Amino acid sequence: MRALLWLASIIAASLLAFMLGGYATDVYRKMLVWIALALSYNFLFGVAGQIAFSQFAFAGVGAYGVVILAHKLGLPFGVALAGAIALCSLLAFIVAVPSTRLEGFYLALATLAFAQLFLVVVNEGGDLTGGTGGIAGYRLPDVFGYTLRGPWYTVVLVLLVALTLHILLRLERSSFGRACRAIKDNPAVAAAMGIDVRRTKVITFTLTSTLAGLAGAAYAYVDNVINPPVFGLDNIFLLLFMIIVGGMGRPAGAMLGAVLLYLAPFVLEPIVGHAYLVLFGVLVVLAILFQPKGLIGLIDRLVDRLGPEQRA
Amino acid sequence: MDDFLELTVSAMASGCIYGLMALAYLIVLRPTSIINFAIGEWSATGAFVGVGMLSTLAWPRFEGPYILAIVAVVVVLGLLGWAVERLTVRPLIRRGAAVTSPILALLGVLVIFRESLTLIYGADPLPSPPPFGFKRIEIGAFAGASQQFFIIAVTLSLFALVWLFFERTVWGRAFEAVALNRRAAALMGINLGRVTALAFAGGAAVAGLAGLLMSPMTSAHYMMGLPLAIQGFTALVIGGVGRVEGALLGGLILAFVEQLGARYLPIPSGLTLAFPFALLILFLLLRPTGLIAPREAR
Amino acid sequence: MARTRFASALAFATGFLLSAAGAYAQDVIKIGVITDRVGSGKFYAEPVTRGIELGAKMINEKGGVLGKKIQLIIEDDQNKPDVSAAKARKLVDDGVIVIMSNTGSPATQQAQTVSLETKTPHLTPANSADTLTTQLDNPWFFQTGPLASIQLATLMTYTKSRGFKKVAIVRDNSALSQSFAESFRKGLDGVGIETAVEEVIPQGTTSAVANLQKVRAAKVDAILQAGILGPEMLQFFRAYQQLGMKEPILGSYNLSIPAYLTMAKDLMEGVVFVDAYDETKPEAKAFRDIYVKEYKEEPSSLPAYGWDGIHLVAQAIEKAGSLDKEKVRAAIAATTGFSGAIGAKGSSWGFRNGGRSGFDPQGAVVRLIKNNQHGPVVHSGQK
Repeated sequence: MRALLWLASIIAASLLAFMLGGYATDVYRKMLVWIALALSYNFLFGVAGQIAFSQFAFAGVGAYGVVILAHKLGLPFGVALAGAIALCSLLAFIVAVPSTRLEGFYLALATLAFAQLFLVVVNEGGDLTGGTGGIAGYRLPDVFGYTLRGPWYTVVLVLLVALTLHILLRLERSSFGRACRAIKDNPAVAAAMGIDVRRTKVITFTLTSTLAGLAGAAYAYVDNVINPPVFGLDNIFLLLFMIIVGGMGRPAGAMLGAVLLYLAPFVLEPIVGHAYLVLFGVLVVLAILFQPKGLIGLIDRLVDRLGPEQRA
Repeated sequence: MDDFLELTVSAMASGCIYGLMALAYLIVLRPTSIINFAIGEWSATGAFVGVGMLSTLAWPRFEGPYILAIVAVVVVLGLLGWAVERLTVRPLIRRGAAVTSPILALLGVLVIFRESLTLIYGADPLPSPPPFGFKRIEIGAFAGASQQFFIIAVTLSLFALVWLFFERTVWGRAFEAVALNRRAAALMGINLGRVTALAFAGGAAVAGLAGLLMSPMTSAHYMMGLPLAIQGFTALVIGGVGRVEGALLGGLILAFVEQLGARYLPIPSGLTLAFPFALLILFLLLRPTGLIAPREAR
Repeated sequence: MARTRFASALAFATGFLLSAAGAYAQDVIKIGVITDRVGSGKFYAEPVTRGIELGAKMINEKGGVLGKKIQLIIEDDQNKPDVSAAKARKLVDDGVIVIMSNTGSPATQQAQTVSLETKTPHLTPANSADTLTTQLDNPWFFQTGPLASIQLATLMTYTKSRGFKKVAIVRDNSALSQSFAESFRKGLDGVGIETAVEEVIPQGTTSAVANLQKVRAAKVDAILQAGILGPEMLQFFRAYQQLGMKEPILGSYNLSIPAYLTMAKDLMEGVVFVDAYDETKPEAKAFRDIYVKEYKEEPSSLPAYGWDGIHLVAQAIEKAGSLDKEKVRAAIAATTGFSGAIGAKGSSWGFRNGGRSGFDPQGAVVRLIKNNQHGPVVHSGQK
């Protein structure tokens, strides 16, 4: 039954790719990448309670990694992708080991510094990273003779979201996920329960950062262009807000938040201009004050009221 | 050697600004354990309020005396800080929410402030008139712009005042008591809510002043907050979160490393941008308590 | 049918509409403009857009193009590359014949992937990065902004005529500034002028004294100013003044943005900068008069880029005689000898030898800042 539901959702989301017009497709694709990023960030921040500002930097490592390896150094695509992901994991691990020792917001600032360092490297990277102009003029090579273009690439993005969601759900429901939540609630108690706090934190950070890298690698072929501004600081705030507004620690909340906050500017911007960002800020403050469970919590309550018999 | 002395003045001035930002963090952080990242935007707000007071925005063609700008910044930012505490932080503390909740709420506040500034003042940088022009001043062998000397003088006086407040007044003692042990302080009859409100008002006023002092060098613009917030936080981490003098020391160290490095190290200029971040990571990992350790509970 | 309804419902629910625009059955000519109203590119994007609006208005008052009125569809990309590409798609869906990109070079670059894929003529009237026409082989994309390399070459001939042998480059860490500095460096190498030192004033810095001390210590003949971020460049001028430096400052065309004149009031006296605008040129005068009448203020050179851009597009559509995008593309590509408000006297735009970058190599000028105003032209072309 559950497998059927997954399949149906994937097919429905993929079908959408074949029906949308050019602009809608473009927005849809970028939204899918945001959803993938929001999902992994939700696990890191919402489930495990680590506030890190490096999610986009790792997406950047994935994107730049695969493009440089495949198109600048000419490695076969599969090798390049694997290499980029491995690079992401390695870097994430190196960052995680020392910085997960830090508490609360100090981790945020340490990872923020890492994110800034990444931008400096990319901007000053000369021909290898294309400097501030980034890299363009490459294309996704054929995979086993199949050309993944147009709507079919959108399907790839749908599968990326499904894969990310699947991995994270499995993880969350395992003992590992429970350990993460326990650490978030109270690290001392978790340690007393016999949970290896450091190890759990390092694994969580490395895994979610690697998933971010995967999403970044997928993003690299959305427009076939990569450049530094996309992986900058502005976006990490938006990602954080998506989780808070959608509902911390709930994958459905993260997805809801990502969809709403990604699409909102396209609708609001022509009406209120830049003021939509003020609106986002207000929304975040209101969510934390009055609805800490986010929109998904609100929906839960609504569902409860409408049809309590439907909930097991 | 002349270069070095010139650079000393410049680094002192920058260090003072960083120190003020670190102080603004510290005033809030000590009694509440809240890292308030919004102070960057508060310093930008301070710059705009001051410039508005001094130039054509408030009253056309009116050039008010500088002290008016300073008073306006302290009062307006103090009120804003107090209001933010009342509206966002206090309800969360009262509810017993996790300490990350107010920190995240303040990130929302950060965005509200920054975007409101662009809505009110536009995205163009506003020139900010300095109180004493931009003459080159030479004091003995030290040479710098008059604004740099002004920054140093105001900062040192302010640090002296804050130090006196914490060391010599009943209120300062109350702050310290709350910082050391919230519950015990409450049992002693200290009004926690009032201390928290005062901390936010004070932190906002200090941040606002830093923005006003900086603005003649950079103009007042809506992008100025985030770099100041990061620089101030780095200074705070270097100096340690425990003591007022640590904030100033951290700021000065950061500024000297930055500017001496940019001047004398034989590496491409583009890479010197990485210094502050490298320093921040280094200190966070190797000496998370900072250089000056907090006072032990007695 | 059911499928369409399902799709529309979905699209409606997610807040954006399906493409339904037919490009041919229209009685107006739709031209898309990508601008930045709120982000970091606002300073240059908005004035250029203004010039396009004014140009379209004038063209329409004279009867339009092919008997049809021009309708501008203006989209805001906040100078974000990924949004810029999305907005380019939106414009294509809306049925525009031509896209004009006015924001930053990275944004224009990413929007190009859309013009290439959808085969839509795409013009940037003011972007200057050389890589825009080299990084992607996009026959639909054209650039009429003054290439950094041409600006530089003009500045170089001026520099040589002044006898400078050793110079410093000062820039900030923004994308545009970096690309300016890079072409400066290459060009200097080419003419045998030594770059003694390159200094970066990072965004958010609180003092540029250390950077300028290094420049002073290098004992250079002149400083090439490649910065574009206002606050950081203000620090540059402050430190320059504070250190009592006297080296001549030569700036990129970014100094033609009027905002610097108020921000760095009294600090820029005697600075020279590359521009592509000569107020004494007849076409420029005509443009200025119309602009002043419309907006009641003196234009900088930026709106003139937009003004020329829309006129070039209109001329090409007229010549193509149809709204077929391929024909319009061919007509733009065949443009030669287009003389507008921009460019030194006697220079013109054109896409020679199949090139897609149309700025006249002799079109840039060097101007002097005097009394806090963009002053007279002191040098012209690369001769």
